[in-house]
Amino acid sequence: MKKIIPFLFTICFLTVNAQDIPNISLENLEGSTVHLQNVSKNDKLTVITFWATWCVPCLKELDAINDVYSDWQEETGVELYAVSVDDARTVKRVRPLVNGKAWDYHILLDTNHEFKRALGVSFPPFTMVVKNNKVVYSHSGYVPGAEDELYEALLENK
Amino acid sequence: MKKAILFVFLSITFFNIKAQDIGTFYGGFESNSQWLQNDDELGFLAPDDQFRSNNYLLLNYNLGNFTAGVQYESYLPAPLLGYDPAMQGNGISNYYLNYKDEKLDITAGYFYEQFGSGLIFRAWEERQLGINTAVKGVKVNFRPTDFVDVTGIYGQQRYGFEISEGVVQGVDANFDLGHFIDNDDLFVDLGGSYVGRYQDNGGNVRIPTTVNAYSGRVDVTFKNLYANFEAIHKDEDVLVNEGVITNNANLYKGSALLLSLGYAQSGLGVNATFRRLENFSFFSDRYVEGNQFNQLRINYVPALTKQHDYLLSNIYVYNPQSRLLLLDFQQQAGEMGGQFDIYYTFKKETALGGKYGTKLSGNFSYWGGLDADFDVPTNSYSSEFIGAGGDRYFREMTLELKKRWTEKFSGIYYYTNTRIDKGITDGSPLGFKEIKANIGVAEHTLRLGSGQSIRLELQHLWTEQDRKNWMGSLLEYNFSPRFGVYTADIWNYEGEGKLHYYNVGGSYTKGRTRVALNYGRQRGGLICVGGVCRFVPENSGLSLNISTSF
Repeated sequence: MKKIIPFLFTICFLTVNAQDIPNISLENLEGSTVHLQNVSKNDKLTVITFWATWCVPCLKELDAINDVYSDWQEETGVELYAVSVDDARTVKRVRPLVNGKAWDYHILLDTNHEFKRALGVSFPPFTMVVKNNKVVYSHSGYVPGAEDELYEALLENK
Repeated sequence: MKKAILFVFLSITFFNIKAQDIGTFYGGFESNSQWLQNDDELGFLAPDDQFRSNNYLLLNYNLGNFTAGVQYESYLPAPLLGYDPAMQGNGISNYYLNYKDEKLDITAGYFYEQFGSGLIFRAWEERQLGINTAVKGVKVNFRPTDFVDVTGIYGQQRYGFEISEGVVQGVDANFDLGHFIDNDDLFVDLGGSYVGRYQDNGGNVRIPTTVNAYSGRVDVTFKNLYANFEAIHKDEDVLVNEGVITNNANLYKGSALLLSLGYAQSGLGVNATFRRLENFSFFSDRYVEGNQFNQLRINYVPALTKQHDYLLSNIYVYNPQSRLLLLDFQQQAGEMGGQFDIYYTFKKETALGGKYGTKLSGNFSYWGGLDADFDVPTNSYSSEFIGAGGDRYFREMTLELKKRWTEKFSGIYYYTNTRIDKGITDGSPLGFKEIKANIGVAEHTLRLGSGQSIRLELQHLWTEQDRKNWMGSLLEYNFSPRFGVYTADIWNYEGEGKLHYYNVGGSYTKGRTRVALNYGRQRGGLICVGGVCRFVPENSGLSLNISTSF
């Protein structure tokens, strides 16, 4: 039995192509509900990234993208949804941090990790390019320069 | 059971091969393993199970309005050090079937849920902490209009591969009042919850079988200002310490108050949070109150302090004190305190902002015991609502400056001043010894082009108490955004044994898959390397982490 499981993993991996966005709704900072299956409809190029106020690499990534975000938007029409996985311990920091940093992203709250779990994400940061509810590119973690790869993925899927 | 697992695997694989049209399949796999080694200098003796591994496989299948999923977990031959030894074994730990349309969301099986901030009820999973408090039963969420939302839950909480003896039931309702206010600047949400636990009292009529808790919440946002308030009352229950009912089975009620106020505009954000907890422990089994592995917790009581990102900043961290203890050697009634956060950006092209802007953030937090008088012989106590007589448990101030000096070179400068009751750090009775510490960190990152970068952290901790001074460093080199290596050491150079906690490791990331290998000594705390943060308990040895999603 134990030998069979890895084998089955392999089969599952091989047969899966693009990941889909699950039917989940999250609240934004204004308390309105956002249906995640609506954000990348009609060929809309979308970046969805999981982050948290306590996650330094996440903040570095979102700061780095923020420096070039307006250029990206002009060129590709991309919209970025930054999904905070902060729970009750730190979620009150989300709004002051986002404003303090003057980020121009759509902020969503995944306080009990429903969306994070549905995508099988282990740790933030985890960043995806999504189009028509298909994940066309993703990476986990952040080191300087990863935003350049993200930009190339956006151009490829424009 | 084994056949069942095989069947699930095969059927999912089969569905997936056949066509994309008949549903979608998704999930994730995570494996964390360690090979522990004797370390004489550290005084660490590797346990009999030197190799330990925690593995999680989550598979979901969605077809139309229906989603089904299973989670298989294995802790073989033993769970990682620091996890509850009761988790040993393997099997299907969670499974569920969910139906969801625009108005109705029904789950049967194991489910996760949170009412309000989770202070009254939270069923959640945090693998790094070994927590999975999913409830096995039924959850129904009904959203008749876009301004009303009602959730009911009923079931037993997961404990390792078993479930709790007690049964948890609850109802949560949220009402968007702002919907009826003709003002685009004003948002008002009201919420209320009921959560009850039923557990047999074994014929002892002094012990209540049902303990109920009730909460009310209001969230208001007006332009740039916002406020949240939550109040909870918990019915009388017995006190339990280390599995035994104390205080002659007398009954004590509990309460919680949480207030948060904030202001946010572009470039500036401030937030203040206050919380008061009195005898506020809530477990799905009354006998596990205060258990060190956080098992069977019905609610979520986080430490409302800054969550630090550096090795030395994570030595003296606060742990919330919500319990009522009326014992000869220890008396506590709860905790009260708050924290204040500020985030500010100095604009580009100003004196302090420079060419790239400068980001400043600060945190101040204070937590103390309730001002209370205890009379242990009569098993009674009285507390002030707000009083100055409570002991100080924790006080901390952190300032953080982020500055990009040139296009390629940036820095983070971090200073923390901490005072903490020693009993918080090692779980001994409170009020005997205070530790004062100062921690300074400088982190610099240099980009070398084509995805290569180098990062250096230098840290120092000053304290006259406890283990005295520490210094630390971390050097990380990223060959590309996918592959990086690091070496780190924190050195307790004035402490007993002058111990080094060294580490070397690397990580490789490709798309949704990440593999990390690490060798060294762990002091414990939050470690952030290669762009990912996780908690680690103290040990010595080799560790391997694999995570992927599909």
